Amino acid sequence: MSISKRSCLFGLVFLILAVSGPASADVGPTYAIKNAKIVPVTGPAIDKGVLIIRNGLIEAIGPVDKVTIPEDAEVIEAEGLIAYPGLISAHTNLLLEAPRAETSQGSPEFIAPAAAPQDRPSETPELCAFKLLKPTKAAIDSFLKIGVTTVLVAPNRGIIQGQSVLLNLNGEKAEPMVLKNPVALHINFTSARGTYPSSLMGTIAFLRQSFLDADYYAACQAQYQKVLKGMKRPEYDPFLEALVPYVKEKKPVIFQCNNLEDIKRALKIIDEFKLNALISHANEAWRDAAVLKKTPIPLLVTLDFRPPNSSRYVNQGEDLRKKAEAEIYPANAANLAKEGIKFALTTFGLNDGAAVLKNIQAAIKAGLSKEEALKALTIQPAQYLGLVQQLGSLEPGKIANVILTKGELFDEKTRVDKVFVDGVLWKF
Amino acid sequence: MNKTITNLLTSAIVLALIAPPAFSAEGSILIKNGTILTVTKGVMVKGDILVINGVIKQIGENIPAPEGIKVIDASGKYVIPGLIDSHTHIALAGTNEGSEAITPEADVGEVVNADDVSILTALSGGVTMVHTMHGSSNPIGGPNVVLKMKWGKPSEELIVHEALRTLKFALGENVKQSSRTITVGGPPPRYPQTRMGTNAIIRREMLKARVYMEEWDRYNKLKASKTPPKNLLPPRKDLRMEVLSDLLRGKIVARCHDYQATEALEFMGLAKEFGFKVQALEHTWEAYKIADELAAAKVGISVFADSWAYKMEAAEGIAYDAGYCAKKGVLVSINSDSGERIRRLFNEAGKSMKYGGLTENEALSLITINPAIQLGVEKIVGSLEVGKQGDIAIFNEHPMSAYTRCEMTIIEGDIYFDRAEYLKDREEADKKAQAPKKGGRP
Amino acid sequence: MTKRMFLVCVIMGLTAGWISAQAQPAKVIAIRGAKIIPVVGDDIEGGTIIIKDGKIEAVGKDVAIPSGAEVVEAKGLCAYPGMIDGYSFLGLQEISGVSATVDNRETGRINPQVRAIEALRYDSMHIPIARSNGITAALVAPTGGLISGQSTLIKLDGWTNREMVIKSQAAMQIEFPGIRGGRGGFGGMGRGGAVTADATRLIAELKELFKNARYYQKRKEFAAKNPAAAQPEFQETLEFILPVVRGELTVMISVHSDQDIKAAIQFVKDESLKAVFFGVEQGWKVADDLKKSNIPVIISSLYDMPPVWDDGYDSLFRNPGVLNKAGVKIAFSSVSASVAKDLPYHAAKAAAFGLDKKEALKAVTIYPAEIFGVDKIMGSLEKGKTANIVLSDGDILETRTNIKKVYIDGQETDMSNRYLELLEKFKKRG
Repeated sequence: MSISKRSCLFGLVFLILAVSGPASADVGPTYAIKNAKIVPVTGPAIDKGVLIIRNGLIEAIGPVDKVTIPEDAEVIEAEGLIAYPGLISAHTNLLLEAPRAETSQGSPEFIAPAAAPQDRPSETPELCAFKLLKPTKAAIDSFLKIGVTTVLVAPNRGIIQGQSVLLNLNGEKAEPMVLKNPVALHINFTSARGTYPSSLMGTIAFLRQSFLDADYYAACQAQYQKVLKGMKRPEYDPFLEALVPYVKEKKPVIFQCNNLEDIKRALKIIDEFKLNALISHANEAWRDAAVLKKTPIPLLVTLDFRPPNSSRYVNQGEDLRKKAEAEIYPANAANLAKEGIKFALTTFGLNDGAAVLKNIQAAIKAGLSKEEALKALTIQPAQYLGLVQQLGSLEPGKIANVILTKGELFDEKTRVDKVFVDGVLWKF
Repeated sequence: MNKTITNLLTSAIVLALIAPPAFSAEGSILIKNGTILTVTKGVMVKGDILVINGVIKQIGENIPAPEGIKVIDASGKYVIPGLIDSHTHIALAGTNEGSEAITPEADVGEVVNADDVSILTALSGGVTMVHTMHGSSNPIGGPNVVLKMKWGKPSEELIVHEALRTLKFALGENVKQSSRTITVGGPPPRYPQTRMGTNAIIRREMLKARVYMEEWDRYNKLKASKTPPKNLLPPRKDLRMEVLSDLLRGKIVARCHDYQATEALEFMGLAKEFGFKVQALEHTWEAYKIADELAAAKVGISVFADSWAYKMEAAEGIAYDAGYCAKKGVLVSINSDSGERIRRLFNEAGKSMKYGGLTENEALSLITINPAIQLGVEKIVGSLEVGKQGDIAIFNEHPMSAYTRCEMTIIEGDIYFDRAEYLKDREEADKKAQAPKKGGRP
Repeated sequence: MTKRMFLVCVIMGLTAGWISAQAQPAKVIAIRGAKIIPVVGDDIEGGTIIIKDGKIEAVGKDVAIPSGAEVVEAKGLCAYPGMIDGYSFLGLQEISGVSATVDNRETGRINPQVRAIEALRYDSMHIPIARSNGITAALVAPTGGLISGQSTLIKLDGWTNREMVIKSQAAMQIEFPGIRGGRGGFGGMGRGGAVTADATRLIAELKELFKNARYYQKRKEFAAKNPAAAQPEFQETLEFILPVVRGELTVMISVHSDQDIKAAIQFVKDESLKAVFFGVEQGWKVADDLKKSNIPVIISSLYDMPPVWDDGYDSLFRNPGVLNKAGVKIAFSSVSASVAKDLPYHAAKAAAFGLDKKEALKAVTIYPAEIFGVDKIMGSLEKGKTANIVLSDGDILETRTNIKKVYIDGQETDMSNRYLELLEKFKKRG
């Protein structure tokens, strides 16, 4: 942002402050989007409406004849355009710094194999994705172009990977983007060669032992706080310390489930430790429909349709594998919808906006209705992330993440015309 | 058109109302006129087997077909119990927790993969049940699991809960990592690197488990006492030790990979020292050298037929191992340990007739009732008897003949492999492939 | 118990027999009363075989037994010609996982100069095991790389490697990309099917080599005729390829996928080679091409998964039957040392999946003999052939059948082997 613009904005800030009292230092412009069709998601569509954005929020919505356009508003003529809430991807690995090569300290010694699960080599529950953010305009443009304005960014290494941050894609500076931090603890059913655990079954045992240990650690600490005198203090452990809020205080845990079995594995652990959990990736969720129907655990279903290597659809010949990627996996969401299972869609595994859009279209072609797709990318993730007051629909008072499209959203010929993030018109 | 369908439907409903079937279509089957090799109750030259709701209801001649039941004509064919493979690693997402020497917390039952196509190859060889095991990279590996080869069913429906809980141990070249080259600057060698160390580390863990159990006992006693001490904290729960405690309490039995006579004897010694049960030894190429000790200790073996001399410790693994030990009174099973060999397990068992002089029925026992006993499921499978589960394989010739072929595999009354069906599908696919494509590229 | 005693007697008797046989090679033996399965010609119930000077003197129902002949009563037994393993590692591999005992794979990619016969361990523990299961001859092949070396055809008896030779240089072994996936998994052809690009490249490489060898030959000939001309610089690789390009030495091409098989057929034609194919797992897809080419096929071990799922679970099992019906000459192989004894069971497996039983037997006897060009002297029980005879108590391809006696070159062989030695040793424990 150039300096001259910034001073301009300051002028505006003063004006608004006088009216509405203390607010954030940086306040966006006022817009009146006029004559657009408005799809608020949570209510009926307005054929010819006005949407007022002020101060980063939606101030008003209504039919053209019912809403007065404020004097200070920049009027955006939107005849022939459709306004939707900005889309939300509730699980991504976007905008993260490329993983650093492990810097060896001194001699190139190998890490000695751990002696027990509690040794937890290279696991980082305390790691915050926020600290790894390295936003680039290209990456942000790629997602804004398809209407995604909000993303959950999670760390992506190891088993207990760390904690995610929820961002509005409003610029290249990390702090103003943050909607919530930390959001959730992220867990992936993976393993690495060489160190413990090196297998999936080891990973599962490791997770159980870690949760057990966190629980035990919390109990010991609590006991110590109670007596203080006459008890040896429990040794401080940053690994367990980071887990405690998720195990004891039931902050959300997101399990990345890479195939149908992972979902069942996660459900077992969630149940055992009474975690407040969400299930992500889940591209074989339809195969678990019977189990998922019985649980209220939120599903964050990826739009990445590459079948897992373990899948029966990839190990029985090339014809079936091709069909799986083109038809079977894209029908995941449609199948879930048919079973009455709720879900949010995510872009997990896809780093290119164009690919995401293509895959949304494939999911729709496979039977998902456009309305369901839209909800799964707006109000549903907002609910799951606990931000339903601020995000997920076009309602007065909510954050002004608004997209204007030429044509119906997700249609093949449709282009996103304008994107407002936090009430500011994005310049591609 | 619509009317006829409606009529048909109504009549079907009416029929159903008049005569509600005593069985569900799923899990019920009548196999007629086969030569039935029951394994435990002799041979019936021309007999029928009736399976109702997954369980064998009747074996005999001319069993009348309940209305609506699926009937299989097995004339000229051999009807045998579904084969059981006592040692495999199929249908898993990962086999070894190879990082550390002691990993009893790593349970293969947690990583069952019902999508593994090895299940199909097992079925194509008449195998209906497998003991799928932790790999052999650790002195103490992890718990194993017994599965039925129910292809297409969710993983949890494959698990056989009636089976004994088993824990995998391993000795010898694999755990001492004989085939691993230690490089300068590479990872340091893992303890143990000798057979001495292997036994020592198992003993160490057993001693640790004893202490762990005592700690919990003490805590539980204190907690239950009239005046429990203030601020009493339980010991830390350790999943590794939990599994070993279950072994020492007899809730889990040991299955141990070993090759040489010394290893086997010393492991049996450890079991005696700590009071755990060895259900069977795996591979045990030198079992014939200690057949009397095995028989006396009631320790079974699960071995290959003749695939030997692939490493030093298999250099004295003779094809007579299985047959000789069986004659000495050792409970012997033949295993595949492979997603390929599993489909010709019956050929492997047949070799014990030449090498060891077993009878047809004794040879067939090595892959039916014997493994069933080893897995603790002999009450439900392993032979064709009324009351057992309807796990059945049908072969075109005697299953111990080299010329035989599996025609059909049935689990709990449901057909999971049908060669005739398979051939029909293949023929259709071939026809389709040969038919000129309309409008397509040339 | 009686059986055990019998075995001990047989072993002891045979050892003695072996020594005396060595001393008097001109002995006449008459095997009497056996069911004779000559492979070529009809079976003979209660027939007699006369062995003289290591050769079959007569076979038939009413054959007079010469006076002084040693009579072997074989009533209730079957007499077969000894089986021939079309591809093995016998004598080159003892304990496959211990490199000190493995000699079948030279380092490098192009090794036409190495000869299996020169490394053959005559006293390999695997040879008596295979022999006592009725196998009397085997091709022993080097493996690996593009040109693996020269295989050798041996009989499974002899006190030195050279004593075992039937054909010291049987074939030049050439390998196209393999599909052998090892235990349990699908082969290395990948999900997409055949690897063709690699074969094309390898064929181009071979063609270049052969071209160079031919030119090398020309220059050598020229130098021989013109004392003034310089000799071409010695090139080991080309030197040892010469017998191949001259058409004197057969090439055995290890080839697996349908596309590669087609390419290999063309290659053999282009280069006018004397060729045998080995492996040929997808041969059933190109059976007619193979038939037209007249190239015989050594079937690889059937103890493997199909190369790709789409081939069907039984594709390796039915492949021999399909090829045989199409008129392709096939022979079976163990591709092993430690379980080379299983050769008959590969044939039986194929018979279970469509190969005619009689053809299955031929594919371990007369067909391999024809393929290796030794059918004049072995592969069937016919007058004038070497007396390689197996006496069994049943169908030789059946697992349960016991082999009672094995004659090689008319001499009864030692039926003892590592299995029996160890078994007998530990039986003594009681």
